[in-house]
Amino acid sequence: MLGITALVPAEVIYACRENAVDLNNFVPFSEFQPDDKLCAWSAIWRELILRKEVEVDKLVVVAGGDCYNALVDGEKIELSGIPTLYFIYSFNRDIRLMEENLDSLVEFAGGIKNEKAFGEIADLKQRAMEIDSLRTEGKLSSIKAFEIEISGSDLMGSPDKYGKAIEALEEEDVDFDYRVAILGIPPIYKGFHEFLQSIGLHVAYDEMPFEFIRHSGRNLGEVAESYVNYTFAGNIWRRMEFVEKQLKERNIDAIIHFQQFSCHHKLEDIILRERFADREGYPYITIEADLPGSTPEQARLRLEAFAERLAGV
Amino acid sequence: MIIGLDVGSRAAKAAYYTDSYEYRIVSSHSWQDLIDRDGIIVSTGYFRKKVPHELNVTEITTAIYGVRHFLKEDVDAIVDIGGQDTKMIDMRRNDFRMNDKCSSGTGTFLEYIANYFALDVSELQNFHFRAKTSAKINSTCSVFAQSEVVSRLVEGYSKEEIINGIHHAFARRIAQMLPGNARMIALIGGTAKNKGVVDAFEKELGVKVLVPPDPQVVNAVGAVKYYLATERDG
Ligand SMILES: Nc1ncnc2c1ncn2[C@@H]1O[C@H](COP(=O)(O)OP(=O)(O)OP(=O)(O)O)[C@@H](O)[C@H]1O
Ligand SMILES: [Mg+2]
Repeated sequence: MLGITALVPAEVIYACRENAVDLNNFVPFSEFQPDDKLCAWSAIWRELILRKEVEVDKLVVVAGGDCYNALVDGEKIELSGIPTLYFIYSFNRDIRLMEENLDSLVEFAGGIKNEKAFGEIADLKQRAMEIDSLRTEGKLSSIKAFEIEISGSDLMGSPDKYGKAIEALEEEDVDFDYRVAILGIPPIYKGFHEFLQSIGLHVAYDEMPFEFIRHSGRNLGEVAESYVNYTFAGNIWRRMEFVEKQLKERNIDAIIHFQQFSCHHKLEDIILRERFADREGYPYITIEADLPGSTPEQARLRLEAFAERLAGV
Repeated sequence: MIIGLDVGSRAAKAAYYTDSYEYRIVSSHSWQDLIDRDGIIVSTGYFRKKVPHELNVTEITTAIYGVRHFLKEDVDAIVDIGGQDTKMIDMRRNDFRMNDKCSSGTGTFLEYIANYFALDVSELQNFHFRAKTSAKINSTCSVFAQSEVVSRLVEGYSKEEIINGIHHAFARRIAQMLPGNARMIALIGGTAKNKGVVDAFEKELGVKVLVPPDPQVVNAVGAVKYYLATERDG
């Protein structure tokens, strides 16, 4: 198993005949409380590996672009003897940097042995994009769509399994009052989308999970050209441009900015708020989480009040 | 009868409405004592879903309804200083904030200070108004504030001056949540019964502070008003 700590082109990993596992999958369900931490996400997957609760043979740490905190957590794992690669996204869409990082990834994962995997995964992601459209049209709950999109990072450990999970989904009529967008880091709380649905909020746009299915390519060059546009890792102006288009296309009524204690993305709140709340007029709420678990009562209260305010009662 | 039942983190409040209002306040753990009569229960507060109810609504919404009932003025913001957290509702932008990270700027902080001086929270206001000057306190973090209180005592400030200073630090802390252009605010929640806090708010913030007659029952009344506004016509 090759562990990844954030978005790393999974098609490359599978083309090298390795299996990917996104370590973040374990975090929302973990009860471990790390003392030595900035962000709970990276501190918890670090501990899960060091304590051998999750077994990986190799690790790819995203240490630049969308996440900076993971750097030292990765070094601690490397010190424990697990081969570790540091993957850096370009801030300025520098295609050469992207290609260099991809070359290192190929080498780290043992070289490309199954070129076919690129095309197969590109097709799967195409299917996942259709799932995303269904949720936007209100024909699939955001709970199910989120599950598929967030799993786009590691394809559930096997493209086969991922394909089956997509095929198993059926259209349904979703009942909701408002269409909301979640911007920022995916919620560290388990059942967050379920809670939103229970108060009539349908997540019609999940910013980061959507990025997990949006990028692919039928060969290494195409992969580089696609992932270089990973908005969450690049500069915020391009990201906001992209987000604004999504908000409009998906008829979003309101924005939830989800942020994580100690994460540099937290500092973006004021920029996003200024653009989307003050300038564009979207109702906007910021939720900040630290440790995983179920959604705390105070966050529930704020979100429920947010829904009541949307109704104008 | 309609019963507005606000079960918060510290206190449970009931507003009984037939053609006029009657109120009762007990500790949160004794909320059952408040429903000893028949009526339609509209619940709010942290425990709104844990108590019997026909309708439940958050205290953000009830604060808006309750304040409109008690005050004829249109305020720019409502600040609800409860036991566990402080909620600020920006009436003009239909936005709200909460300080939910720690007890600074909440009723619990003032209870902590009262406790330090072996006083009841209801006595803090008397000390506040007896102070000739105000001791400078910078922090409202319970831990740091205590060390500042000790330093000020050593420097020779009186209990009165320190309590006055604590109220000012408290007001400054909450001021950070207010929209910049607010001119008139409503202060509600049990902590607004402390006139020292109200005084510090006016002096620190330079805004007009309106406090309903019993600020602690505003959300309970707001729950009744919310029911009347939404259920009767729909
Ligand atoms: N006479 C008084 N003088 C000063 N403070 C008081 C007085 N009576 C109550 N309080 C304070 O009011 C607080 C409780 O207020 P309130 O009932 O509004 O809180 P709550 O609704 O239970 O809390 P929350 O809204 O955070 O869940 C307590 O911290 C208490 O110390
Ligand atoms: Mg309250």
